[in-house]
Amino acid sequence: MSDEVLLEVKQLVKYFDVFSRGVFTRKKVGEVHAVDGVSFAIKRGETFGLVGESGCGKTTTAKVILNLEDATSGTVNFEGRDVFELLKSGKRSDILQIRRGMQMVFQNPYLSLDPRMTVFDILSEPFIIHGHIGRSDWTARVYELLTKVGLEPYHAERYPHEFSGGQRQRIAIARALAVEPKFIAADEPVSSLDVSIRAQILNLMMELQRDQKISYLYISHDLSSVRQISHRVAVMYLGEIVELANTDSLFEHPLHPYTQALISAIPIPDPETKRQRIILPGEVPSPLNPPPACRFHPRCPYAQEICRTVKPVFEQVDTDHFVACHFWKKFA
Amino acid sequence: MEDLLKVEDLRTYFFTEAGVVKAVDGISLDVRKGESHGLVGESGSGKSVTALSVMRIVPKPGKIVGGKISFDGTDLLTLKEDDMRRVRGSKIAMVFQDPISSLDPLYTVGKQLIEAIRANNETVSKEQARDMAISLLSNVEISEPERRFNQYPHELSGGMKQRIAIARALARTPTLLFADEPTTNLDVTIQAQVLNLMKDLKKNFNMTLVLITHDMGIIAEMTSRVTVVYAGQVSESAETHTLFYHPTHPYTEALLKAVPRLDKRKQLQSVGGNIPNLIDPPTGCRFHPRCPYAIQICKEKVPDYEEVETDHFVACHRWKELSLVGVQ
Amino acid sequence: MSQLTEEQTAPPKRVHRQRSATQWAVAWRRFKRNKSGVAGLAIVIAFVVFAIFGPLFAPYPPRSTESLLQGQAGQPPSWKHPFGTEINGIDVFSDSIWGARNDLWIGVAATAIATLIGLAVGALAGYSRGVIGGILLGIIQFFFVIPTLLLILLFSRVFQVLVYQGFGVNLIVLILGLFGWPGISFVIRGEIFRVRELEFIQAEKALGAGNLRILFRHIVPNVLTPVIVLASLLVAGNILTEVVLFFLGFGPANVATWGELIEEGVQYVSVYPWVALFPGLLVVTLVLGFNLLGDGLADALNPRLRE
Repeated sequence: MSDEVLLEVKQLVKYFDVFSRGVFTRKKVGEVHAVDGVSFAIKRGETFGLVGESGCGKTTTAKVILNLEDATSGTVNFEGRDVFELLKSGKRSDILQIRRGMQMVFQNPYLSLDPRMTVFDILSEPFIIHGHIGRSDWTARVYELLTKVGLEPYHAERYPHEFSGGQRQRIAIARALAVEPKFIAADEPVSSLDVSIRAQILNLMMELQRDQKISYLYISHDLSSVRQISHRVAVMYLGEIVELANTDSLFEHPLHPYTQALISAIPIPDPETKRQRIILPGEVPSPLNPPPACRFHPRCPYAQEICRTVKPVFEQVDTDHFVACHFWKKFA
Repeated sequence: MEDLLKVEDLRTYFFTEAGVVKAVDGISLDVRKGESHGLVGESGSGKSVTALSVMRIVPKPGKIVGGKISFDGTDLLTLKEDDMRRVRGSKIAMVFQDPISSLDPLYTVGKQLIEAIRANNETVSKEQARDMAISLLSNVEISEPERRFNQYPHELSGGMKQRIAIARALARTPTLLFADEPTTNLDVTIQAQVLNLMKDLKKNFNMTLVLITHDMGIIAEMTSRVTVVYAGQVSESAETHTLFYHPTHPYTEALLKAVPRLDKRKQLQSVGGNIPNLIDPPTGCRFHPRCPYAIQICKEKVPDYEEVETDHFVACHRWKELSLVGVQ
Repeated sequence: MSQLTEEQTAPPKRVHRQRSATQWAVAWRRFKRNKSGVAGLAIVIAFVVFAIFGPLFAPYPPRSTESLLQGQAGQPPSWKHPFGTEINGIDVFSDSIWGARNDLWIGVAATAIATLIGLAVGALAGYSRGVIGGILLGIIQFFFVIPTLLLILLFSRVFQVLVYQGFGVNLIVLILGLFGWPGISFVIRGEIFRVRELEFIQAEKALGAGNLRILFRHIVPNVLTPVIVLASLLVAGNILTEVVLFFLGFGPANVATWGELIEEGVQYVSVYPWVALFPGLLVVTLVLGFNLLGDGLADALNPRLRE
């Protein structure tokens, strides 16, 4: 890992409009605040963990960064270049250049591979699109990719439905690697896999990072795996980052009450570790009308009047530790 | 403590177009009165089918083809369907993984609870059943039970639906509750709520709990004894603490090594290979293709299910010579 | 990255080991196990063979009133006229054979036109967001709600003039084809909505693939299965519409179809019941065949049922 920033996300906002449909008209009745002013930077060769519960906006963040969804506002810089501007310029060479740099691995390997294509076709698709590999080298390259992700060359002639979930996820990773990207957004890449298979994929990802200096945005609700592979972690709640720190300080000295509750909620596979569990009341409110000021206040055990009226500042409290809470000093 | 449920050499096969899937192929299990028993395994291990077999609600084309299930002294497999129906709900109940599809979207919460309370039990009047339903809702810590009573499932969040599903399972105060991955589809903070609730309910309702899960963390936290299943067979069974600290089966060891821990960073050691196909399972010990300690005999002979010490059983040819590592 | 290539002197040959079964092969295996589906397919094939080769053995040309001159009009079935003759002396057996050819042509050709239009409109409506998508949806809905049968009747009258230029059967084909597509469009549009949100389409976007490539290489092939099922059912529907058209007297004159025979037969059903009976049985059998085939295909192609 180097200190050089590869990807910088600034004040990213994504609202989804909600319509009510009349017979002839569509009236906008509200906005889902999926991502609301998210900023962070990922360094070369770094794994940046993004955690939160369902609906907190972590997947949307990744999709917006890769422009699979249009951003409502905000910018993403990749190697110092404005991604959204380049993609919108419509210049094919710019688009392809950005796409070669950034890739994504999806949550469900049963849906992320075209069921009607063989593995060979799936893996050579990037060569067709980018033309960076001559046709005569395709076979060598496909076999090399398969070997790299721990599969065999003969797997190339098979269809996705013949593979297990873990193997499919390896194929999906190989497809992302086919364009030699510098950055991969991995959205819950192991959550649909079996326990004994998860470690295989996580280890593979770490291995690839060592060999090829890839940066990851690792998105997960599974804090244990985030702790395992991330260098730094951001915690999201209702579209906002509430805490961001390097992994050890986040897990050992969480400063935001939500982070604390999240960490305490995870059962640890060791019968001798007994912990005080913080049980949060209620459920995550709707992102359609997020609570005012601190969005966590309705569930926060420490909420005061100020939390309902004044939005906490996202402030730096230590080297590489940021938090958005009025009372973080209480927990420091 | 006496056994409440004793499953011996259970075999449940699915007769599909592609072949016979031996989902449960000789699973034995004993669950003692009042305990929390963990049934841990990965997808296709047969853990859910075991529970469905005990309830005798195995979906088609599945069929129980062998074994013995005795519950509180009654042989469940020879029971007539009518009598079995009376056992279900009143003696043994089940909570499923997916709270969304386990509730009928067409009926209100109240209606479904009343139906569960009055099933095979017409002596309860509708008014009594209504009162019982409302108190069940407060038992599962649902706020404003009177209002929720008249709502439809789609008006509730996932966590709330799972609470309702639990309330419905508890309607006839069963002695044994199977909970099949009850929190897998829930967010972590909601999972914490539901696990706590289940602990309390188990105590208050004086139930025996069989918790089916793939999550070793939940096992460590919730259970006192565990049975580990792999590819339709039991690989190891022990007290939870023993299983985590002194595993004797390589699969148990592999599971413990492969699971990341929240409280510290560790080197994850992955188990190679994939989960076997149960139409044509590996010969001998079913774990042998993935087992780092496998030798010739493991390929050829099915290991016996042997007693390591009191309350600790393992099915491995080499358990005596291996010194496996548990939680460190 | 290049380590492996450097080590190898010659690029590896692509090993075409036994190629795995494609999804179509898997579907075919499933289909073969479905008895009623296979029966449907057998019926359809039998009729196709009958329509292609039958005319070689047809004793009389279409609409031939030759037997009238021989005083053979209105005869019950006999060795000479296996299905009997109708009031003008037309041999019902011969016209049933010619009818099979025309009816299959009407069913299949009209379905082909409807499917192509349906596919194109549905694909565009499903893939374009915003105004264009809205307009296309409006067009589909418009064609869906207008009383199609009435329009078909109207058009077959208005363009009757074409019939005298030898356009009889093809007029029906055209009309049925031009009005038969909205159902397919709706299904395609819905399927595309579903498929385009799937992760492999997102992955394709992330790779930088263009819109047309995504639409035609990845989305369309994945929405074809319901189209195949629908098309099979639409053939049956078109044949029935043809019968209705002739039955109501809106068919072009002097075309041998089952509908024409049935219409004539029903007028004199108390005197010459065989005239409507035999073509009626043929219609029922063929329509049943396409329906069974469609159901069988639906089961075989349904990914949720795949083992």
